[in-house]
Amino acid sequence: MLTDQIQSVLRDIQDPEMPISIIDLGIIDGVEESNGAVTIRLLPTFVGCPALDMLTRDIAEKTGALAGVSGVNVQIIHDPPWTPERISDAGREQLRRFGVTVPQRGGTEKCASEPSIGGLGSAGGAAFVPLGMTTKVACPFCGADRTRLENVFGPTRCRMIYYCDACRNPFEHMKPL
Amino acid sequence: MSTSDPAGWPPPAKAAFVQGLLCAADDDFLIGHRNSDWTGLAPMLEEDIAFSSIAQDEVAHARELYQIAGAINGESPDRIAYGRAARDYRCARLVYVADGFDWAVLIARQYLYDHFDGLRLERWRQSAHEPLAQVTHRIAAEERFHLHHVNDWLRRLSAGNADARTRIQQAIEKLWPLTPELFEEPAAVAAATTHSALPRIDASLWPAYTARIVASMEAAGLRPPADRTIPSATPPGGRNGRHAPELDEVLAELGEVFRLSPEAVW
Repeated sequence: MLTDQIQSVLRDIQDPEMPISIIDLGIIDGVEESNGAVTIRLLPTFVGCPALDMLTRDIAEKTGALAGVSGVNVQIIHDPPWTPERISDAGREQLRRFGVTVPQRGGTEKCASEPSIGGLGSAGGAAFVPLGMTTKVACPFCGADRTRLENVFGPTRCRMIYYCDACRNPFEHMKPL
Repeated sequence: MSTSDPAGWPPPAKAAFVQGLLCAADDDFLIGHRNSDWTGLAPMLEEDIAFSSIAQDEVAHARELYQIAGAINGESPDRIAYGRAARDYRCARLVYVADGFDWAVLIARQYLYDHFDGLRLERWRQSAHEPLAQVTHRIAAEERFHLHHVNDWLRRLSAGNADARTRIQQAIEKLWPLTPELFEEPAAVAAATTHSALPRIDASLWPAYTARIVASMEAAGLRPPADRTIPSATPPGGRNGRHAPELDEVLAELGEVFRLSPEAVW
């Protein structure tokens, strides 16, 4: 079936920055096919994500190359809003091995706009106050929960920077949206 | 007026909607551009990363709003972003006023802006125009991290040494007179008769804004601005195209590459 082939093509397309399929990342909202005309609904992780143009072209090219596909329309939509909850279990494991952790589904991580009451200053000098999160983030490398938030902002718009005091590795955490 | 199909709107309604959108889009675009000045120059690496990321967010948000505006009036977002004369920009002066490479001024500017932007986004989530309501929901989720960051910096500077505390206090006081302009409306918006597609961003939001500023400054151990009345009548400012001369320089800088070849496809 053509839609199965399309799913398979999409499964093979990875996020440009992280070793995770766009299916596992949860950014494909739906695929429709009618007489060879294909519509794919795409949810950006972050508004204006710089990878979007590249992803859209990649999706259109690879899907368009399938026999029986006459045209591909990739629609970027904001409803439902993407959140890390959409990342599949398999995707979470791939990201963990890469050194990126993901907020737990149904967890209590939310970004409060006010830092929670807590001391300024911490060992190591980066004085960031926790984001009102009550769920500790486990280190993707050693599993310890002696981890702390180093920077709300990271190398990409979707990731924060953490540090593990147990194994002394920095790692990244997807922003809870 | 069916807000799901802008094609059916009468021209004054379209003009009002676009002018109102441009206030937010131009605010985000200009503050994002100013933030990017700090890349490579922030006091520490984490802040290089933070403000570069904040800048990316702001410019991305601007792009989304320019796209919605462009869908209404048939212009490309690039042309809207780069191709207007300074008097056609609808940003408030606060977002582009020079920070003199003073960290406290950068923080104060972002702080005063982000609290306003949060209120504007809350209001616009009620928009009857679905594309706008949906994108503002997503923008607001991203903006929360900015607010967290600037509120945190207020505390850090206030809890620092006397120099840090004085600088942040003075920076906020220096920029405070520019905040009422955030709540000014373009003439086309004020004259419009229906606002369901774009809820008004006007002086009715001032009490909520000052309440947030007072609460967050007091929580940081700082003195809120003493004069918190909004002027009842002021000459038109940035939202009506009356800008500080420095906007010409800023626009020339950020539009330089575009102007080399306005028809280029990127």
